[in-house]
Amino acid sequence: MPHDDSLMSRFDQQGLRKFRARDGILAVLICSLVLVLFEGPSIRRQGEQMNKGPGRTLVLAVGKPAGWLGDKLPLASASHDATSWLSPDDKLNAADSFANVAVTNTGIPPVTPDAFDQADLNEPAARKEPLHTLLVTGDSLSQPMDSELARLLSPKGVKVIRDPHLGSGISKSFLVDWGQLSADQVRKHKPDAIVVMIGANEGYPLDVGKKQIKCCGADWAAAYANRARRMLATYRQGGLARIYWITVPLTRDPKRAAIANVVDASIFVAAQPWRRQVRVIDSRPIFTPDGYRAAMKINGKETIVRASDGIHLNEPGSKLLAEDVLGRINRDFTVG
Amino acid sequence: MLFPTVLFAVFFPIVLMISWLLMPRQQLWKPFIIVASYVFYAAANWRFCLLLGGITLGNQLFAVLIHRAQTESGRKWLTGTAVALDLAVLAVFKYYAFFVQDIDDVLESLRLGIPLPLLTIALPVGVSFFTFQAISYVVDVKRREVEPASTIDVAVYLSFFPHLVAGPIVRAKEFLPQLQEPRDPKKVAAGSGIALIALGLVKKIVIADYLARAVVDPVFAVPQAYAGPDVWLAAYAYTAQIYCDFSGYTDMAIGLALLLGYVFPQNFRSPYRALGFRDFWRRWHMTLSRFLRDFLYIPLGGNRKGKVRTYINLFLTMLLGGLWHGAAWTFVLWGAFHGAGLAGEHALGERVKRIPVWLRWFITFHLVVFGWILFRSQSLALAGQFISRLFVSGSATLWSIPVVLAILVVIGLQLLPSKGVEGFQARIERIQPVLLGVGLAVVIAFTGATVSSHGVAPFIYFRF
Repeated sequence: MPHDDSLMSRFDQQGLRKFRARDGILAVLICSLVLVLFEGPSIRRQGEQMNKGPGRTLVLAVGKPAGWLGDKLPLASASHDATSWLSPDDKLNAADSFANVAVTNTGIPPVTPDAFDQADLNEPAARKEPLHTLLVTGDSLSQPMDSELARLLSPKGVKVIRDPHLGSGISKSFLVDWGQLSADQVRKHKPDAIVVMIGANEGYPLDVGKKQIKCCGADWAAAYANRARRMLATYRQGGLARIYWITVPLTRDPKRAAIANVVDASIFVAAQPWRRQVRVIDSRPIFTPDGYRAAMKINGKETIVRASDGIHLNEPGSKLLAEDVLGRINRDFTVG
Repeated sequence: MLFPTVLFAVFFPIVLMISWLLMPRQQLWKPFIIVASYVFYAAANWRFCLLLGGITLGNQLFAVLIHRAQTESGRKWLTGTAVALDLAVLAVFKYYAFFVQDIDDVLESLRLGIPLPLLTIALPVGVSFFTFQAISYVVDVKRREVEPASTIDVAVYLSFFPHLVAGPIVRAKEFLPQLQEPRDPKKVAAGSGIALIALGLVKKIVIADYLARAVVDPVFAVPQAYAGPDVWLAAYAYTAQIYCDFSGYTDMAIGLALLLGYVFPQNFRSPYRALGFRDFWRRWHMTLSRFLRDFLYIPLGGNRKGKVRTYINLFLTMLLGGLWHGAAWTFVLWGAFHGAGLAGEHALGERVKRIPVWLRWFITFHLVVFGWILFRSQSLALAGQFISRLFVSGSATLWSIPVVLAILVVIGLQLLPSKGVEGFQARIERIQPVLLGVGLAVVIAFTGATVSSHGVAPFIYFRF
């Protein structure tokens, strides 16, 4: 064990050059000013992306004038040009954005065979295709289930791509536009099957045309379902791929649970035209059949399945869900 | 509130200015800095502020009672109660779910039923750090190393936002004396403060988060999907990542405190140049190892009760130190591994020094890397899989120049003569703060550009 008690000497020693406090304040203010001039629009954007509250108000109080200044001066664009190559994010195609997808109403929508699950029609099951590539995506809810699926499938030769986007939401397209992202994922990975679990960060107003719809009435649910349907259309790749969309289990916080209710209802509606390819896996009967619970019986043993935040599943919970998802995948694909 | 966020970038300059404005009037400064610190903490969850406030008031009450106690046994009893209550807070918030599940599993297997409710409890950020500081306060009062401070000083000490959520663990006797007088506005290590903030940002955002994204997270999540070359790379990458993540946070914390006029203890000193476990713990998370020594190892008897008891004490101290990091068997095993290493080294004594220095370094470094595999793995089973994959031949799919360069720079810089590195840092710290301010803005702009759309990953030590 260490016997050196002089841990204070490094930063308290006389050798450290001392300045006046006002030099320190000036330095911080100059740093702030430079950032306002060169990163103003970025500060504003980050403020707009924050959840409502005093923090957002504070950031926007600086971000709005900083953004205005940035718009007027060429400095912000120069800064963007100088630093954009460092971004680790993939460049997404703007054409796929939710904003550019018009929801058209062309009369009575036709019902197609894809709207029927073969099992409901007593049809013989289609020949199982081999599963080569599985994409597991969503927000933080998709973790650590994605790792569990990878652990189950990787040894069998399935390429499992885990692509979680933490803090994102379908209604939160100012952070990640899932319309663009889903198109990019399909282009890049061409998955045979996609597992989606998302919904922890929803409830944001949705822009539909020039209207902004606030959560969580029927109009918001419809707009949300349209976005989800757009993603499903992308993921199903014209019927070539299977999608396993997992609903959000009830959360401990009743406010979040109310949003999750609407999100889940929207997903069932969104999936209706393509029930042949889209399997909505309802997690509620598994985890929260009679309301929120932290623990449940697994193999006859009472086990904690939720994380301490009351939102996410913990490892045993994720493992249970992954096994359920794998069971569904096995019905559609040959694995290994 | 995370340091590397826009919210903090707006919050801090305001607090800094008001802090120095009020500094001469301590009766105003102290309430102000408490409010600012609680606002900082409330950004995570305002309910946690009640816990912080409760711990502050509870420990202050015990410190005063200990000071007033007439007998030594009374002082001991009161101190024991205060420490037990602090540990009970930790037990409930941090370890309840961990222990209750395991206890219930055992009872269930014995068919004795489940006596305890299986609940999950929200973990308050930084609870391990501020409860340890509270313990250090009451124990220092008991040992008469500090007098009980005023309640407002204790509230500043425990809540001071630069160290609130992830340390360094500042001892009461180090911080409370700094609250006796207003800080001198003519003697502020502003250059050092800004240089440390910039260094911390680069370590955390540019190196730690990049290595996590590119190598560490994918491999540790599914080790069986990767062959030996990638698994080795992930082990080295995590070794670099955890150092940059935690020491980066500490650098920022120390830098922010310096700008506010306060000094924190050093927490890292080139840990990967250590020549043994004992040396490693004199360089890694130094404030924790000091805490464990003073409040666990020495009270257990230290090295005063013979060789065997020394080994047992070392092992137990590190075992509990491992558990402090998190409620998981992987942390317990990591602690046990380091405890066994320290005990083994102690047993070998001077014989260790006969080994050539380069070999001692090589062995120590790789034992530390092995320990990090246990530390990072999500379960013992995954740790086992990771270790078994180290020796599986296959292709290197994750090796790239930036990854290898980042690992080499992080580890290599620590192997350079410390005088050279520290001298270079000292030269930067002497630059006029105004120039450093512009430099910091450039660092923020460039490091900010490397942040993915997910935002900055939480600091690893926030969970502890």
